[in-house]
Amino acid sequence: MLIELTDIHREYTVGGEVVRALDGVSIGIEKGEWVAIIGQSGSGKSTLMNVIGCLDTPTSGSYLLNGKDVARMDDDELAGIRNQEIGFIFQNFQLLPRETSLANVELPLVYRGVPAKERQQRAIEALRKVKLEQRMHHKPTELSGGQRQRVAIARALAGEPSLLLADEPTGNLDSATGEEIVKLFEELHRAGHTIVLVTHEPKLAARCPRAIRLSDGKVIGDGVGAEIAWLGLTKAG
Amino acid sequence: MGFRVDLIEGSRIALRSLAAHRLRTLLTTMGVGIGVATLLAILGITQGLDTSFQSQLASLGSNSIYVAKQPWVQMGNWWEFRGRKNLTLEHYEAVKSQCTLCSAVVPMLDDAADVEFLDRALSFVNVTGSTADYLAVSGFEITRGRFVTAADDDNRRKVAVIGADLADSFFPNGADPLGSTIRIAGKPFTVIGVLSRKGKLLDQSQDLVVLMPFNTFKSFFRGRRSIEIGVQIENAEELSRAEDQLVGILRRARQTPPDRPDDFAINKPDQLASTYEQLTGALYGVALGIGFITLLVGGIGIMNIMLVSVRERTREIGIRRALGARKRTIITQFVLEATLVSAVGGAMGTLVGLGGAKLVSLVTPLAATVRPGTVVFGIGFAALVGLVFGIWPAARAANLDPVEALRDE
Repeated sequence: MLIELTDIHREYTVGGEVVRALDGVSIGIEKGEWVAIIGQSGSGKSTLMNVIGCLDTPTSGSYLLNGKDVARMDDDELAGIRNQEIGFIFQNFQLLPRETSLANVELPLVYRGVPAKERQQRAIEALRKVKLEQRMHHKPTELSGGQRQRVAIARALAGEPSLLLADEPTGNLDSATGEEIVKLFEELHRAGHTIVLVTHEPKLAARCPRAIRLSDGKVIGDGVGAEIAWLGLTKAG
Repeated sequence: MGFRVDLIEGSRIALRSLAAHRLRTLLTTMGVGIGVATLLAILGITQGLDTSFQSQLASLGSNSIYVAKQPWVQMGNWWEFRGRKNLTLEHYEAVKSQCTLCSAVVPMLDDAADVEFLDRALSFVNVTGSTADYLAVSGFEITRGRFVTAADDDNRRKVAVIGADLADSFFPNGADPLGSTIRIAGKPFTVIGVLSRKGKLLDQSQDLVVLMPFNTFKSFFRGRRSIEIGVQIENAEELSRAEDQLVGILRRARQTPPDRPDDFAINKPDQLASTYEQLTGALYGVALGIGFITLLVGGIGIMNIMLVSVRERTREIGIRRALGARKRTIITQFVLEATLVSAVGGAMGTLVGLGGAKLVSLVTPLAATVRPGTVVFGIGFAALVGLVFGIWPAARAANLDPVEALRDE
């Protein structure tokens, strides 16, 4: 088991009121799976993504990532886990605007302390996987939205993490470009990568072999993507 | 990941960020730059003052002692000095016959007078009456003619040896002054020699002087005057022993009671030096204080701009944190940036400060010298200011919640 979440709670206090963003979530994800986490805004899916991505720690519950108990780690250790185990893909790409594609893709390797030469080779290799090696000296502002997201995917791949964690990866793209990105995810899945994809779009979740639906901080459905994607919704929604 | 990587990556990022905001960097560095410039200009000028003063002091003769009724530098009761018995020729004779460590002893009397030659006149010329050994004690040399002799003194001859300033203004273009008649306080004197140039001491010329035989002086400038006894010590290392010996001789000659302090003063060039240090030390302190305050203001400017920079780059910080940068790495990055901005300011300030010191030395008689260490100090100190004032903004950057930071627009 790559991800093992057991009875995860995450509470915030907002204006003196306790908000239960996650209210007893238990999920297991195997290596090589492609799982969508779907829910409407306020369902707790963003909080769950932050917990899985080690950007946030749960109030209670246990989280084993690759056998390591990350729920009790300190800030430095979490930074190390994010660097080694997780490849983030964000809705708005989150690339450094003043750096070239190559430098952006190298960044996780920089923080891992990989020597410059090897770092560059691995970054070029990752850019090749997303078919962007021709654009490695371009800055994000010189790239289209789809290309930017591919750079972000290359960056996620460069560190060879055990988990790709994507947050609405097609949210800022038109449908044709979004489709390209989904195809890329399908390829990556076939190549053996573990992918967790957070979205509010049933259509996207339906493309995933497995989907988990969240509502009010609880798991209300877990199963084949095409079935779970529309759970509790009318087809037209 | 090691600290070395933090440093390398941090410097790279810092350089890029500075290059991206050139104008802002320039303006920010100006504050620190002005502080460093102020500090360096002050240091340069005071160092220059020190060196020129040292060389001026050397012109007094480092192994000369001048015994007088009053000390050169009077700090205390003026009446106490005023009420002292005069130093007389008797005391001079005592020193001359008993001082074993002295290689030359001369009596000295002086006054300020007008000196004229043809239609030219100089005011406030120092007129000194002394004997042949005065040359050895004072450190003057004869460039033309001869100095006064014992025969001049015995016969009260109306002869004068003139200082370089007088030679220049009375006998320009190499005219021969020897044998000419000048008027000192209205009385005619024959010029028999010219003294070498000594230069200035504390901005006062030491060459606006006329020397005449001691006895001649006495017959022209009347009144009960206290003489000064000029002494040259053979060996500079025996200066303090000679001083003790002089005190003993004079107390005996003046019959100073054992329970009373000395009623005469032993004046040495290095006394002037310590007085000078006391005076300039205070000035120095105030000037340095101003420099430090300017640097403090510059440092606050850096802190301010770093807070802006952290605010602007919140998302970048979020991205870096998500990809595995530790808090330490972020702190290093921003502290380096602040340090670099400040060091650049320091370097610019160093140039301006050195230029300022140079300018001062060109337009004023002060010679500004700058030691290489001062330059290193200027840049290093600026960098330190950046480091100190960069820590707080950097810590704020590092303590941002990555999730919040990523959400920043």
